[in-house]
Amino acid sequence: MNSPPSPDLAALLADWIPRQRWFGAKGRAVASVSVVATTPLPVDGVDVEHVVAEVAFADGGPAAHFQVLAARRAAGGDDFEHAAIGVDGDRLVYDGLWDPAVSGWLLRAIREGREVGELRFVPEPGIEIPPAPPGRVLGVEQSNTSVVFGEKSILKLFRRVAAGGNPDLELHRALRAVGGTEVATLQGAVEGVLHGESAVLGMLQDYASNSAEGWAMALASVRDLLAEADLRADEVGGDFAAEANRLGQTIAVLHSDLVRALGTAERDPGEIAAAMRARLAVAATDVPALEPHSAAIRGVYDELAALPAPLPAQRVHGDLHLGQTLRTPLGWLVIDFEGEPATPLELRVRPDSPLRDVAGMLRSFDYAANHQLLETDEPEPDQQRVWRSTEWADRNRSAFLDGYAARTGSDPREHELVLRAYELDKAVYEVVYETRNRPTWAPIPLRSIARLLNPERGTAGVPIDSVQ
Amino acid sequence: MPTDARTSDVTADHDPAEAADAELGETSSDDFEHARTLAVDHDWYKRAVFYEVLVRAFADSNRDGTGDLRGLTGKLDYIQWLGVDCLWLPPFYDSPLRDGGYDIREFRTVLPEFGTVDDFVTLLDEAHKRGIRVITDLVMNHTSDTHPWFEESRRNPDGPYGDFYMWEDDDSRYPEARIIFVDTESSNWTYDPVRGQFYWHRFFSHQPDLNYDNPAVQDAMLDVLRFWLDLGIDGFRLDAVPYLYARDGTNCENLPETHQFLKRARKVMEDEYPGRVMLAEANQWPSDVVEYFGDPQVGGDECHMAFHFPLMPRIFMAVRRENRFPISEILAQTPPIPSNAQWGIFLRNHDELTLEMVSDEERDYMYSEYAKDPRMKANIGIRRRLAPLLENDRNQLELFTALLLSLPGSPVLYYGDEIGMGDNIWLGDRDAVRSPMQWTPDRNAGFSTADPGRLYLPPIMDPLYGYQAVNVEAQLNSTTSLLHWNRHMIEIRKRHSAFGLGDYHELGGSNPSVLAYVRTLRGGGPRTGTDGADDVVLCVNNMSRFPQPVELDLSTWQGCRPHELTGGVPFPRIGELPYLLTLPGHGFFWFSITPEEDPS
Repeated sequence: MNSPPSPDLAALLADWIPRQRWFGAKGRAVASVSVVATTPLPVDGVDVEHVVAEVAFADGGPAAHFQVLAARRAAGGDDFEHAAIGVDGDRLVYDGLWDPAVSGWLLRAIREGREVGELRFVPEPGIEIPPAPPGRVLGVEQSNTSVVFGEKSILKLFRRVAAGGNPDLELHRALRAVGGTEVATLQGAVEGVLHGESAVLGMLQDYASNSAEGWAMALASVRDLLAEADLRADEVGGDFAAEANRLGQTIAVLHSDLVRALGTAERDPGEIAAAMRARLAVAATDVPALEPHSAAIRGVYDELAALPAPLPAQRVHGDLHLGQTLRTPLGWLVIDFEGEPATPLELRVRPDSPLRDVAGMLRSFDYAANHQLLETDEPEPDQQRVWRSTEWADRNRSAFLDGYAARTGSDPREHELVLRAYELDKAVYEVVYETRNRPTWAPIPLRSIARLLNPERGTAGVPIDSVQ
Repeated sequence: MPTDARTSDVTADHDPAEAADAELGETSSDDFEHARTLAVDHDWYKRAVFYEVLVRAFADSNRDGTGDLRGLTGKLDYIQWLGVDCLWLPPFYDSPLRDGGYDIREFRTVLPEFGTVDDFVTLLDEAHKRGIRVITDLVMNHTSDTHPWFEESRRNPDGPYGDFYMWEDDDSRYPEARIIFVDTESSNWTYDPVRGQFYWHRFFSHQPDLNYDNPAVQDAMLDVLRFWLDLGIDGFRLDAVPYLYARDGTNCENLPETHQFLKRARKVMEDEYPGRVMLAEANQWPSDVVEYFGDPQVGGDECHMAFHFPLMPRIFMAVRRENRFPISEILAQTPPIPSNAQWGIFLRNHDELTLEMVSDEERDYMYSEYAKDPRMKANIGIRRRLAPLLENDRNQLELFTALLLSLPGSPVLYYGDEIGMGDNIWLGDRDAVRSPMQWTPDRNAGFSTADPGRLYLPPIMDPLYGYQAVNVEAQLNSTTSLLHWNRHMIEIRKRHSAFGLGDYHELGGSNPSVLAYVRTLRGGGPRTGTDGADDVVLCVNNMSRFPQPVELDLSTWQGCRPHELTGGVPFPRIGELPYLLTLPGHGFFWFSITPEEDPS
């Protein structure tokens, strides 16, 4: 049988959790870590318990909750040293997701629809979860850890646990119900309880084994362009426009599937503009470089607020960018419907204009085009390279919009003001994010803001350093 | 002795009074020696490396400026040295040569400038002596308008050949059928003033389509097959098979009746000539082409092989775009094929680089990338050889060849590409890629000792690809030449049955510029000495001109060790974590994955 929870576990986790990539609260001093729930799992040959840990912060802000599969085996073998949480007597305590015995059990539990304590393993109705080879941890992301089973299934465990709904699971379920093909099919979910409220712990999906991120594809194209001396973006072999167009079509179909599944709504432009203004106000105090632009940005938001009619709204992806798209041999897939991680849940699940997603993709093309300029050693990027990167971005943004328009029958460019406001809002968010996390990247969104505010000046007219 | 005298007699001495019932005599295979045959092998074509050679372009034995069968026979040692398993000869039949010999005037006669049927038997016999098989084109769909059958048919509508072709009183039938040679033809119907009717033709107007609704036509064509099979030929590439029948209200392609006839032809081959093959030329989408393999329940009962047309342009597209998805996508859309079937794959052949099987947008892309001069375009395609298409970049030539030799299917090489020959886009139609084989830096590239002005086409003479720079003799003398490299890769391919017979499985990987796949033949590793072990070959290709890293999930082979195939160097053991490889620009790796030998 399983060992009782060790009194030392909370201490081990207190040391381990803040060092994990998914901790997501770097810089905040931790006041204490306590274990609020443990559920032993009946896995053969290994002691493992599902643990929910509560992290309290010294700044008195709301506590965060994280789930850990704490596994124990006799120390000495080096199989799981890389996943070690600590040592408990003569036993190694480690992150059980890395143990195929544990991940295999999780897969079987979902297939069989088991309940263990307060954990519920739920297969989607009518789905066959195929038997699979041992699980393999694919990668540790900012908010989750994924385990892949052969080429059939991928289990995503949300490390940070929050009570209430999970838009990622909710939208995948809704899209499956209407037969949506723009996302990986949902196979099942893991649900639990946090402080008496239900919480989504993980989801199991079809795994697109042969796929590459749109971000990597776009960078390959930009690299190809910049390696040429003087060819235009439409002349180089690595042209991405056909892919961007197809991606636009995919997003259009996704949006219409979301409408079929969850209907439409309306949003008051004044209310949306108010949220944008609020974000800008906070950002401008954090990032002085934004200050010269804030009046002009507010001007755009004012125009948005003054629109006479409500904006058509629906459920959207909410945090769409090239890194949330996967190219598979048969087309594009969209992943990770959690929304902007920093946004409160109740805002992430609200219907919004689909132009928010469109703007997110447009921003992402800008990022891809400019990203390489940052990787050179030169103090100032060559103006010719800036001009050509911008040409790449313009070409692919247009191709994306063309594809989107071809499928929806409505061209986002007809709503230029709304689109520009969403792009500015996203860019403001990016400026803050980059300034905090990757200061060298901050010029990318700053430059885009200058460009969005001066569209008639032409793209090449804005030198990258003039916005700093 | 074989002669075409009999047929010409019929036309020359034709007596109008006897015309009504005159049957044309047909030459019998009993009039010739038969070549020795190779032992029956039921899947040789799945493992074979094919080599397409134009008789006209390879070697001239009689100083008339045109290559011939005897010249080709004299070069068999070279072909054997290169590692070729099977020659594919485009048509060498008697022909007015208005379509490169695909306009056949007499099925049982060799074009006089190429030699005689006896010369062909000698070629077959010498090839078989070297373990090389020979297949040839057979045009089933149509004949030349100078074929005696057509001459009889137009002159004598009520005679035995009156119904051999598809005649109509007007030119309105089958309006849904597309026109294939859009550069030259405006209709699929042409008026014949002799008979006073229109005849149907899917290709040139001088190539009337045979009428397969007439059982006598079916029998006559099966007898043509038997004639060459009796002499010892190893199979046929069936030209333009989708068009054999026409039916109202259809596009007249891929009709069920066409498949019925192919099943009948296959049965003749199986019953009377086991081990011989039929290769379909059907420039269609793979989902349509698989129909030409026949019933999968019985392993396939129509053609043994078919060309995979859409793959080739996508290999070019993938490398230009520096991402694998053009290839991944077309292979993902390729349905499984019957157990006895095999794809034929190629980079270039005697036709233009065909772009029929790409979308309009992709075609524009290919034109702009690979046909920068309008003269490089022909019909719906690009008339260039491999080396000039790749701007003579050795790295890309090697990458493309490695893909050709390792993707699923039997590779078909085009003569001259093994040494990186160039093209001459100023020659008419598709002659740009049909210039003389470059053997030496001597007169006429060593192809012929005729007066240079007499050559059927001038050899390539430009400073980059001309025969003084690019020729077999020079490359034989340099072990680092493209020719030696090609030979070495063919030799490596032959050491691993997985290349020809194995499953194809794409590995993916997060780097879109890298195409990685595994070819696996269950129990196919006899050469390792471990009977029953799998033959597993891992191929990793960098589509980008820049160096790339890739992490591959090789967990299936955890504990095994990859051995690089060109040098045998053992690479690090496959562990629990993704396997990291770094590739130079346009680089590739072939590995054999074998269980690690017991260190004790």
